[in-house]
Amino acid sequence: MKRELLLRLVRVATYAMLIFLAAITITPMIWLLAAAFKNPDDLFHYTFFSPRVSLGNFVDLFTTVDFMRYLINSVFVSCTVVVVQLFFSSLAGFALAKYNFRGKKAVMILMLATMMIPGQVVMAPLYELIYKMGLVDTYVGLIVPGAVNVFGIFLFRQSILQVPDELLDAARIDGCSEFRAYWNVIMPVSRPMIGAFCLISFMGTWNSFLWPQIILQNSDRFTLPIALNQLVSLYSHQYGTLMAGTLLSVLPVIVLFVILQKEFVAGLTAGAVKG
Amino acid sequence: MRELPYGKAALSMLVLAVLSGAWIYSHPPTEEKATLRLWVFANTHYNAYKAALPAFEREHPGVKVDMQLVAGTAVTSRLLAAFWADLDVPDLVETEISSAGMFFRGPLKDIGFVDLTDRVRDSGLWDRMVRARFSPYMSRGRIFGLPHDVHPVMLAYRRDIFEKEGVDVSKIQTWDDFVRVGRMLTIPNKRYMLEMTDTDSSLFEYLLFQRGGGYFDPKGHCIFDNDICVDTMCWYVPLVAGPGKIGNSLGGGQILTKAVEDGYILCLVAPDWRTKFFELDIPRVAGKMALMPLPAFTPGGRRTSTWGGTMIGITKRSRHKDLAWELAKFLYVEKTQVSPRFRESNILPAAKDTWDDPAFNEPRPYWSNQRIGRLYAEVAPDVPYQYTSPFIITAKVKLGEALVECVLYYKKHGNHGFRPFVKRALKKSADEVRKLIERNPY
Amino acid sequence: MISDAAQVKGRRLTWFSLQHKYAPYLFVSPFVVVFAVFGLWPIAKSLILSFYATNGPKSQVFVGLDNFRFLFRDADFVRAVWNTSVFAFWSVFLQLPLSLGLALLLNKKWMRGRELFRLAFFSPNLLGQVFVGVLFSVLFIPQYGLVNKALHAIAGRSVPLDTKWLADPNLVMPALVLTSLWMYSGFNMVYFLAALQAVDQELYDAALVDGANGWQTFLHVTLPGIKPVAVFVMIMSTIGSFQLFELPYIMLGNGPGPDRAGLTIVMYLYNTGFVTGDLGYASAVGWTLALGVLMISLFQMKASGAWKGASE
Repeated sequence: MKRELLLRLVRVATYAMLIFLAAITITPMIWLLAAAFKNPDDLFHYTFFSPRVSLGNFVDLFTTVDFMRYLINSVFVSCTVVVVQLFFSSLAGFALAKYNFRGKKAVMILMLATMMIPGQVVMAPLYELIYKMGLVDTYVGLIVPGAVNVFGIFLFRQSILQVPDELLDAARIDGCSEFRAYWNVIMPVSRPMIGAFCLISFMGTWNSFLWPQIILQNSDRFTLPIALNQLVSLYSHQYGTLMAGTLLSVLPVIVLFVILQKEFVAGLTAGAVKG
Repeated sequence: MRELPYGKAALSMLVLAVLSGAWIYSHPPTEEKATLRLWVFANTHYNAYKAALPAFEREHPGVKVDMQLVAGTAVTSRLLAAFWADLDVPDLVETEISSAGMFFRGPLKDIGFVDLTDRVRDSGLWDRMVRARFSPYMSRGRIFGLPHDVHPVMLAYRRDIFEKEGVDVSKIQTWDDFVRVGRMLTIPNKRYMLEMTDTDSSLFEYLLFQRGGGYFDPKGHCIFDNDICVDTMCWYVPLVAGPGKIGNSLGGGQILTKAVEDGYILCLVAPDWRTKFFELDIPRVAGKMALMPLPAFTPGGRRTSTWGGTMIGITKRSRHKDLAWELAKFLYVEKTQVSPRFRESNILPAAKDTWDDPAFNEPRPYWSNQRIGRLYAEVAPDVPYQYTSPFIITAKVKLGEALVECVLYYKKHGNHGFRPFVKRALKKSADEVRKLIERNPY
Repeated sequence: MISDAAQVKGRRLTWFSLQHKYAPYLFVSPFVVVFAVFGLWPIAKSLILSFYATNGPKSQVFVGLDNFRFLFRDADFVRAVWNTSVFAFWSVFLQLPLSLGLALLLNKKWMRGRELFRLAFFSPNLLGQVFVGVLFSVLFIPQYGLVNKALHAIAGRSVPLDTKWLADPNLVMPALVLTSLWMYSGFNMVYFLAALQAVDQELYDAALVDGANGWQTFLHVTLPGIKPVAVFVMIMSTIGSFQLFELPYIMLGNGPGPDRAGLTIVMYLYNTGFVTGDLGYASAVGWTLALGVLMISLFQMKASGAWKGASE
């Protein structure tokens, strides 16, 4: 009986520890939620929630700051990047998974090299290149250099390798072109990986700061991270508005994650664990 | 199944991309519609100009001015980037004194602002404006910006607390007097006499300028390791770091508001522009604040300093340079505009002949009915000179680093060997700036 | 790989086999093209640029090795390397054990609500460095911010309420490490959890039979079982740490912080390249960073002895 008691104790302790840690982890986000809905003057007078719940910060956010515009900009850039990257990466991943062709090894080494080299090496000359192409301060200049996501190619390759060859052959027998096979057979089967990729890609683009900061100049084209960075100094006398903006900026990714949670974890760990 | 093979997630992304793209296409950046575009970085300026612009547009029918409020650091970086990449830039830009130097780094012909030297002399502004205020905006002898202000510095203080503690402000003539009163009034962790910081040079420079020191000399040589600065540093550090400290700082914005409301900080550095910020951001202490001139370092010495500054420049890519010049003059020296502007911004203009306007003589309830315009105008002629360089920002950062090192040393060793250390630390920082200046191939 | 059935289809054979043969090239071409234009070319140009000083993308002046000479003697760069290295060190040696610990706790067979816990611990990562930076710059405010209030409530007088975090040169790095701990522990935990769950149950059973206790099982079954993932996570963590930029940049108000306490290598690169405008110097910094990171990664891989090359 003593052993059972000990086991019980261990379990309870483990749960307690986990709940405690989870609570600490969540606290900043709860604070954020509370801060966004507090009356602007009350921000530092109450630690978390104040009795005066108000939407004042949000009203402020959309009237004095062009927040709607930044929000839509971010949506546009992120969604476009996801769609573009999805198409190119899955296509390349398919090619690397189900074909043997000359140069395949070279391509794979190239892919690995890009993953190991920090992107900052190329920032300066890339900026110069974009400038020479006349694409500074355009969304084309923002999106195109990132049009292919190497990590995504890797992910799709891993997942498509699992697709049984028979499926492909059956499609070919039916007279499908390679592209048709990709479109009608491989992709529907890879939906979980697509879900994971959408989230990863969306998250990366939604939160990205450095490259947009360099490329975008006209404030009407700003994405949320850049806009919020500017707001920090412009709104140091009104942190409530700043917090409201931050809250709205993080919600889309959180919502997306909640929906795509399972696929995401599977996709993220696919490369690492099997590797 | 006729749905997209990629699945629902991807489909919704696609739909969102198309929808948002359509919205963006139908709402092009607004700037293209105006005749003149102006960037400002301070909301007090923004509010003041907003009130003034309709009058300008009336005088020039058909002209539309589009004004944008841009965060301070962003003005510099975006403008620089726009100059380099040949992007669309506004016609007029207000930029702050500490960043103006950044635009003067490259060859003279590459400077993005129009050379205003001739216009300034021809229009008589060279004589009408406080001449010292042109120097921060000049490079290699040419003028690139019109100075907005003089920015004399006074001290704002909690008159009610001073009175409660029996302090007679008129008896505070020198910094020694001030420190004595400060030691009396300071309660560690609860109340500090003066707003001072030990992490950067922002609340140190005005004292340096008051003593006649600075970052650069007129030729652009770095001078912040000279004796004036060493003296100032040796005086400053014990006040903000040692056991007898009377100064502290928590931060700006909403933090400062609460600190002042709570009486955590009694005296604040008050250049004219900052008084308006206090009025707007710390309304709860209205009627309890007042201004006093800076204590002098030596009896009979200078009782003011300067902090901050703005210039307005016309960009070379502007297609309406003459109109832009008219607007700049309208905003900066037009006599009919001066009264309303002063009420909106509390800023003393750089044009000396405007200072007799009645708006400067109005008593202000927030400031215990002091006539703040008059007070600033009285100390304005004494404002020290400031010289700039493309490396002004680096110099500020380096001075800040030296300050931090001195603070750390003082906390550990006190006065023992302090002065030689300060000398060394300042020299080290100044040498780093000199190295950068040497490297500049332009 | 052409099936017999296709060979039968006569006329369509040529088109079919052609498009079958060339399809992979077509599919991979977007990657190759984009990479060639926006990857390879800039990398090469970067090497050339590093021998120039520029004023924005418009004018250039050849300076030879001067950029590198200045770089290695610049006090700011040295400080940036130091800061970044310290940060990377704590990221690996503080954060990874924490993530592993969390994963171990969650891996218990009897654990309920695992998904919920995972969501809770992972969620900070979703916010992204910029928004986390904005949030935490407010949380670290002295006197009125949440962090100080909490610490003061727990530790009382040893943590004065007006402790300055982001304005105190000694506390900037701890603040950054703590924030990144908050952000990434859950992220790495997910990897570890997946790895733990992939360890063969039979190995555990065998260990039990052999009479191994908890600690021995951990050392000889668990650790080796997750080694590939652990190495992967360590390398990714290190590389990521050396690229630290957004978090300090936002939290310190777009600057290096008091006494350059928050200056990182990438921030240094950004300031010299895109604020001062010397793209050539920025290229020199970029190359130095890349080579440094590469060397460290190779060293890590060698030292851990695992993992022969990439997936095949």
